[in-house]
Order: sequence, then C-alpha cells, then structure tokens
Amino acid sequence: MTDGEEKGGTAGYLRLNKKCMRSMYLGYAITYAVLLVAFILIMSYSGEALGEARGTVLLIGLACLVIVLAYMLMAPPVFYSRYRYKITEDRVDVRSGILFLRHVMVPIERIHQVEVSRGPINNMLGLGHVNITTAGGTATVSYLEIEEAEKMAERLNKLVGSMLRDREST
Amino acid sequence: MTGEPIRCHPTIIVENMLQIIVAIALFLFFLGRLDMTLVAALGVSALALTLLFSYRQWKRTLIRFNETEVVIERDTLFKLKKVLPYSKIAAVNISQGLVNRIFGTSKLMININSGHNAIVPEASLTFKREVAERLRSEMSRHLYDQGLPAEEDMRSIVSFSTKDVVIHSLFSVPTSQTLLGGAFLANSVLEMYNSVTTEMGAGGTAIPSLFMFFLLQIVPSITQLFRYYNFKVHRQGEFIHLQHGLIRTYKTSFRISKINAVRVKSTLASRLMHRSCIEAEVVGIASGDSEGSSRPVICLLKDDKTIRKVLGELVPEFVYERTPGKQPVGAWNVLRIRTLVASVLLVLAMAYPSALLHQEYASQEGLSNLAAYILPLLTALAIVAAVHAARVSYRVREIDLGEDLFTFVNGILDREVVVMSYDKVQMVRVTKGPIARRFGVSRGTVHLLSSTGSKSITSGLFSEEQLDRIGDIVMERMTSGKYDHRLNGI
Repeated sequence: MTDGEEKGGTAGYLRLNKKCMRSMYLGYAITYAVLLVAFILIMSYSGEALGEARGTVLLIGLACLVIVLAYMLMAPPVFYSRYRYKITEDRVDVRSGILFLRHVMVPIERIHQVEVSRGPINNMLGLGHVNITTAGGTATVSYLEIEEAEKMAERLNKLVGSMLRDREST
Repeated sequence: MTGEPIRCHPTIIVENMLQIIVAIALFLFFLGRLDMTLVAALGVSALALTLLFSYRQWKRTLIRFNETEVVIERDTLFKLKKVLPYSKIAAVNISQGLVNRIFGTSKLMININSGHNAIVPEASLTFKREVAERLRSEMSRHLYDQGLPAEEDMRSIVSFSTKDVVIHSLFSVPTSQTLLGGAFLANSVLEMYNSVTTEMGAGGTAIPSLFMFFLLQIVPSITQLFRYYNFKVHRQGEFIHLQHGLIRTYKTSFRISKINAVRVKSTLASRLMHRSCIEAEVVGIASGDSEGSSRPVICLLKDDKTIRKVLGELVPEFVYERTPGKQPVGAWNVLRIRTLVASVLLVLAMAYPSALLHQEYASQEGLSNLAAYILPLLTALAIVAAVHAARVSYRVREIDLGEDLFTFVNGILDREVVVMSYDKVQMVRVTKGPIARRFGVSRGTVHLLSSTGSKSITSGLFSEEQLDRIGDIVMERMTSGKYDHRLNGI
C-alpha cells in the first residue's frame, strides 16, 4: 500500500511506498558500479595516450565520481518526499522531481493506452510503473506497489472505457 | 472506388531500384580494396537480385480502394495486409518527383492520425498522374464529404511572386544556422586570402569550411526555393489546400479542425525586412515527401499587413484579441543568475587555454601577437552576447491565456508566436528548477495532439499558477461541454 493520503497544500494526493527508495538505491548502485569499472579501465589503459594530462584527468574523474555518488545517495529520499500523485474522475496529476520539480496533468479523456511495466529490480521488490500514453506523449506514475499499479491501470481503463461508451450512446 | 484490385505503376520498380543502386554503389566503394572483377560481379549480382525482388514485390502487391477503406496486400516472402479505414486517414496528398515527372506519374501519399506516422506517410503509392489525381479526389469525397478544387479554381488568398519565394528561401533559414555558415565562409575567405598573400597555397580548412557554408546556408536555401516555387494557398470551406514546387510538386490538403497550432515565425533577417511566415501544426500530416518535412508552411515570408490578412482569411479560427502577459521580475532574476553562472563557468574553462596561448604568442611581434589575446577577447564577446540574450529573452517571451486559444511568444534571434487550441492539449507539464523555485517561476510544456512526432511547445518563465491554469482551462472546457470530441479527437 502507499503511505497514505496527504493533507494541506497537496490534499488528496497520495505518496509512494518507502520501498521506492530501495529500488532507486539498487538501480543507482548498479549504474555506479558500471561507471566505476569504466573509469578504472580507462585510467589503467590510457596512461600513455593521456601523457602529462593523466593527473588532471584523474582528478576531474574522481571529482565527477564523488559528485555522482553524493547525488545518488541524496536523490532517493528527496524523490520520495516530493513525489505525489492523484487520480480523479477526470485527470491524472503527478508532482515529482529531485532538482527540477515537475507537475504533470493528463486529462483522462486524452488517454489512449495504459501499461504496467516492471524491470528486474522493481519485480524483486514488488513495484511497478504505470505508463499513461496520450496522442501527445507519455506520463508515468512511478514505483507503485504492483497491486496498486494494476488497480490504477484497471481504474484508468474503466474510466476511459465508460467515457467512450458515453460518447457512442450520445 | 470500385474495390477492384490495382497495382502501382511499374515505374515504382525504377524508383525503388534507384535508392538501392546508390546503397550498393556506396557499399562497393567501401569495399574498394577488392579485385575489380569481383566488385563488378558482386555489383551485377546484387543489382539482378534487387531487380527480381522489386519486380516480384510490385507484381504481388495489390491495392483496393473500397467504399470504407484502402487495403494494401502484399503476397511475398514478407507478407503484408494493411487496412487504412477512411475514418482514420488524416490527409491524402500528392507529390511528384523528378523520376515521376519523367514517367508521367505521381505519388499518392496517405497519412493516418498518428504521432508516429506524422512525418512518414503510412502508404506511398505511385500511379499514372491522372489516376493519382482521380483517386485523391475520390478519396477526398470519402474523407471530407467534398471533392478537391480543380486546378483552375485554385486561387491563392495572396499572390506569391518569384521574388517572395527567393526572399523566403534566403531569409527563412534559422539565424543560428546562417551565423554558423557565415563563420565558416569567413574562415574560408581568410584562409584563401592568406594563401594569396603568402603564396603558400590555401590552408587545410579552406575547402571544408566552404563546404560547410554550402551545407548550412546554400543547400537549405536552394531546397526551399525549389520546394516553394509557384506557392499557392487556398481555403475552401473547412479545408486548406496548398500547391507548390518546381521539380517535385506538392499538393496538400487538410481540414481546419486538424490544425493544433499556428506559428507566425520570423528570423532576425526577415524581421529587419518586417516580414514573417506562417506554419500550421497539423495532425498526422507529412507536408512533403517521404524524406519528411513536417509542418506545412501556409504563408511564405510576407509583410506584417499581409500576414494579418492571411491569418484572418485562412485561419480565422486561430485569431483572437490577445492581452499578452510579460514574464514576472522573478524570471529576470533567474535569467541573470543563469547568465552569471554560465559566464563564470566559461571564464574558468577558457582560463587555462588563454594562458597557454598568451605564453606562446605574447613575445612575438606583429599580427601574431594578437593571437595571445584572442581567447580572452572571444570569451568577453560571448559573455556580452549571453547578457544580451538574457535581456532579449526576458523582454520577448509572453503568455496569453484566452478563452478558446492560448499563445506563447518565444525566441531570441528567431521569434515565433504560437497560437494553440486548448482542445488539442494532451498533457501539460510545469517544471521549476532550483533557481526558478527561489523566485517563484516555472516553465510550462504543452504536449499537443500528435502532430510532428509528439513535439511539445515550451513557454518562458511564468508563475506556476498561471501555467497550471492551462490544464485547468482544458478540464473546464471538457466539463462545460465546450470541447467537442468529434472535432478534436483522433
């Protein structure tokens, strides 16, 4: 289940389960390991090619790795604390972001396709993303518990279906 | 619309072969190290196989124009059955390239209402010119409940002279591209001048620079000249018909209700001549050919008075009394900080190379001594340009939320006024970065109904409430019944 409903300025919005942070940390750990290995390999085999600049490249590379590590450590809690979503009878509303805050609004009327997707990490943690496709782009409600994601997809499909049936009958 | 199976004109084999021959030639060129006899044998075999394949594909592809749909069926190794219901077709257009002209044929291009296929037509069929015209006219009756205007009835709302076409071709190329092309040309001229004065022959970058200038400035201008020659635009009821082209001719028609947005665009050079052009963003339409030019131009560069006339007569649905809102002071603060950060980063990045150059050339005499100061000078110029760009960006960008339409005004060097319909909005995204957050401003991105591959339109920096209002108006129009899904749905 989600961590419950919000009160105050973001009333009616839902929050994610804390498991989303674990999923992000695991994903980041894999990415960081790949980056680290690539950096070590580059530094080990490009000594001659870099020549005198090797020291400078090493310093810049290490600085970048430290910045990336700091971001990866801090991003999941910030993401979790800022993520809010809401589905009403007529719209899907998502507020998210780490450095850049985004507010996405999709009218239910515009939805063409709803899809639940889960990668290996999310699969392991029982999480999934709901991808909402419109004729102008795709919006995603991320890191929902799989039952919640399935329920949301079903609800959205029902809302779209009933809207189409209403149209046909008029 | 008899439903009788027909084949494309056999010259489609030649059209297909030409593309494949170029590919084979390029492939063999890169295998240049092989024995010539072997290369020739490989080339001839590949050509024979391709000819056989193309012939078989032509022979076994049948097209049926039924009462409710077009069916394309191919019975080859890669079987295909494509059904295009008239209800899903956005536009049927005709294009005639050089090969088509030689053989007296035309390409009938069918576009469906889809973001993915907005640029590339869903079907591109070659027929004898008269057959293609007849089929297009008959299909138009199915699609639009009316035929197409006869060639003699196609009276343009405004007349476009050859001079207008030349001006459009030269001055509608984006300013950034023209500046870059100019820089390459200047470098090329300088290199050639040096080669004459020093009698040492042209430097290594003279020819590539000249080539880049041609690629960036001359080629686009010539392409536009050929494309928009003899430009005509005509409105008949709910439809806009376009006709233009010198070697390849284009005939494009689309329903007004398929227009998502209208853009009035001007480059820096065209603005100095008080001219701008109009583009329409149309759902599921390839304005040109399979190479894909996306947005149809509905008016070439013309003076402001004519542009107002064309807007009023051609697309009055996208004209309204605007009360534009300027960016708040917070936006200026964001732009200032952003420029300051960029300038500091630029200075830091240029410090080391500048010091190296200074060390190298400071002791030399004459013109070479100037090289010691060139990088700091260029950095200073870049910073001045960035400050100016920030000022212009703050001054120019506008937003205007009307009742049925809304407008974004954007651009620094090249300007565009984009008038959009709320009823075509699919999704609204409001984003605020760490600096913008401090000053209470955000940037809005509007995703419109599939036009050119789901392209979005972004605003300047405005208050979050103002940008959220776009989504709210979209919702209000739906609940109040102002939104008509039959006109605006896919």
